[in-house]
Amino acid sequence: MKPGPIPTFQPRLKVLNRRQALAIHTAALEILEKIGIKMEHAESLDMLAGAGGKVFDKDWIRLPDYLAEEALRSAPRQIALYDQLGNKTMPLVDENPFYGTGSDTTFTLDLETGERRRCILADTGNFAKLVDGLENISFAMSMGNPEDVSKVDYIYVYAFAEMVKNTNKPIVFIADRGEDIAKIYEIACMVAGGEDQLRQKPFLLNYSEAISPLRFPAHVMDRLIFCARKGIPICLPSGSNAGGGAPVTLAGAMAMGIAENLAGLIVHQLAAKGAPFLFGPNVSALDMKSAVVSYGCPEWSLTQAALADMRDEIYGLPIWSFAGASDSKVVDAQAGAEAMFSIITAMLSRCNLIHDNGYIEYGSTSSLEMVTIANELVAMARFFTHGIPVNETTLALDALERIKNAGPQSFFLMDDHTFENFEQALFLPKLLDRSRYDAWEAEGSKDLYTRSNEEAKRILSEHQVTPKDDGVLKEIADLLKGL
Amino acid sequence: MSYQTLLDAVIKGDIKTAKEETLKAVDASQNAQDILDQGLIEAMNVVGDNFSKGAIFVPQMLRSAKTMQECVEVLKPHFQENAMTTKGNIVLGTVKGDLHDIGKNLVGMMLEGAGFNIIDLGVDVAPEVFVDKIKEANADVLGMSALLSTTMPSMSLTIKALADLGLRDTVKVIIGGAPVTRKYAEDIGADSYASDAGAAVHETKKLLNIT
Repeated sequence: MKPGPIPTFQPRLKVLNRRQALAIHTAALEILEKIGIKMEHAESLDMLAGAGGKVFDKDWIRLPDYLAEEALRSAPRQIALYDQLGNKTMPLVDENPFYGTGSDTTFTLDLETGERRRCILADTGNFAKLVDGLENISFAMSMGNPEDVSKVDYIYVYAFAEMVKNTNKPIVFIADRGEDIAKIYEIACMVAGGEDQLRQKPFLLNYSEAISPLRFPAHVMDRLIFCARKGIPICLPSGSNAGGGAPVTLAGAMAMGIAENLAGLIVHQLAAKGAPFLFGPNVSALDMKSAVVSYGCPEWSLTQAALADMRDEIYGLPIWSFAGASDSKVVDAQAGAEAMFSIITAMLSRCNLIHDNGYIEYGSTSSLEMVTIANELVAMARFFTHGIPVNETTLALDALERIKNAGPQSFFLMDDHTFENFEQALFLPKLLDRSRYDAWEAEGSKDLYTRSNEEAKRILSEHQVTPKDDGVLKEIADLLKGL
Repeated sequence: MSYQTLLDAVIKGDIKTAKEETLKAVDASQNAQDILDQGLIEAMNVVGDNFSKGAIFVPQMLRSAKTMQECVEVLKPHFQENAMTTKGNIVLGTVKGDLHDIGKNLVGMMLEGAGFNIIDLGVDVAPEVFVDKIKEANADVLGMSALLSTTMPSMSLTIKALADLGLRDTVKVIIGGAPVTRKYAEDIGADSYASDAGAAVHETKKLLNIT
């Protein structure tokens, strides 16, 4: 028998063993069963009580283990997100990582002046367009809370419409309450061509948040139930940050965040069995000096790697995570170091939907340059994670023999094997500079921030987004006018 | 009498020793107000400075604040007819529509440590609730917090509500929270803005001319 090809090991990070994973899971179930959650949404509280939960102190409820186990069984193992043209571009399952931007920053770095200023709606459009033009950034989020919308109550509807106009990639969106999410859903149906089409090929996912510790506000649950019934994929992380919303020790913060996620999942599955739910809390760390939630810390990368291990050991559901962000106020060495740390570890631990790429200033400021840099860092991480294929071609004994036989004038750079393989064999950077000193100087001695600024500008001026149908655009404009 | 041991205990966050020292001072017939001003608040000034310099971390600062609170409980019965004087009454809250309170709580603890009386209205506080409490408590300062840029406009509405009732000049308004800037504070007619809890104490003292 002829031996088959040698499989390629793809580097993989594990941070928990099975006993650790089970112990955190057990603690999460114990939180639900013994401590309970505060459910401020009457319909959800009724559903939970009807399913076996025990209400106490008005709107607190304790949830038996089996409710979580049942919800985990009925939630789908794969969430397939489509682009707005109907292609399945983000199969969120198993080991597939997808990177995208974040939402809701207050400020952005102005592309022309470099100044940190309040976000406007056009910024959301620019970020979406940039995402559309970057090959390693798979989905768009608003990246800003624009200050120039006419009705602040519908800020997320304007932001969603702006994204739809500027990208065809999948969109992860924010909403405030039942009213505005219904408007966003209307726009999504216009784009997809109807409710059924949207349900078949969802191009959007809602990001909602419960409030740690253990609190589920009514307007958040309205959104959760709306999404469940409409088949819109949703995630419901809470701010279970170590030392802030949650215990300072990472295991405790994870257990609580997972308990909150399970509680959300239980309501979600009771509202619509089999509806898609992206699992995972946000477990970052509260900085012990500034009290900001850190976006550059190693803790968040560690807890989401741990969650990926728990997905593999226990949950089986695709997970929500973050990367490519920083606490630095400017796009500098700190920003690059922190962004790469989270990007490579998120990929090595096989997180699934990875948002916040392009944040600086602990998520208060967005930067088009930073998104552009993240795109390159993801490519670098992807190259590393592909591992080293080992076969006759890559071992290249033929090439070596040719060079040896051809004598001293021969060298690998001119060999056919190099010509035929270099594009797959090596990582070819676009933004990271490896030019010789004199060439770099002649080009203007530009640092990465400058180069990424120029690249972002180039994409925004040259990239063509496949335009939406005029009829759809008119429908959207009419809806916005009617708000 | 020297309060050095008491000061050290509050700065270290040693609750047991601090309470013992407070009792000792009371037993030695020291004036309760002196113990508060020269012992506890003085210690918290040092703690506040250390925190602002980055020499200590938030949990250490809060432990000192907790130590002070427990000592104040020990002292309370020794003030004659509730005659404890504070540096001022501060009404504090997170604005309507916003349910986030870690930053606001931190500000409250720091201000209390600095010797102010804090009336914390919690989260999701409507303009009229702020206004009613300011009237009732005869507040010197109103502190409002918001984490979301979408809830910030409620700060402006509260200031307007104060103006409508002719109360704007009776109270200083200071605002803060992640999306809030000095410019925003100026735009909506607040008296001051603080970027963090340490700055909140500093700015509040400045507003009330306390050195």
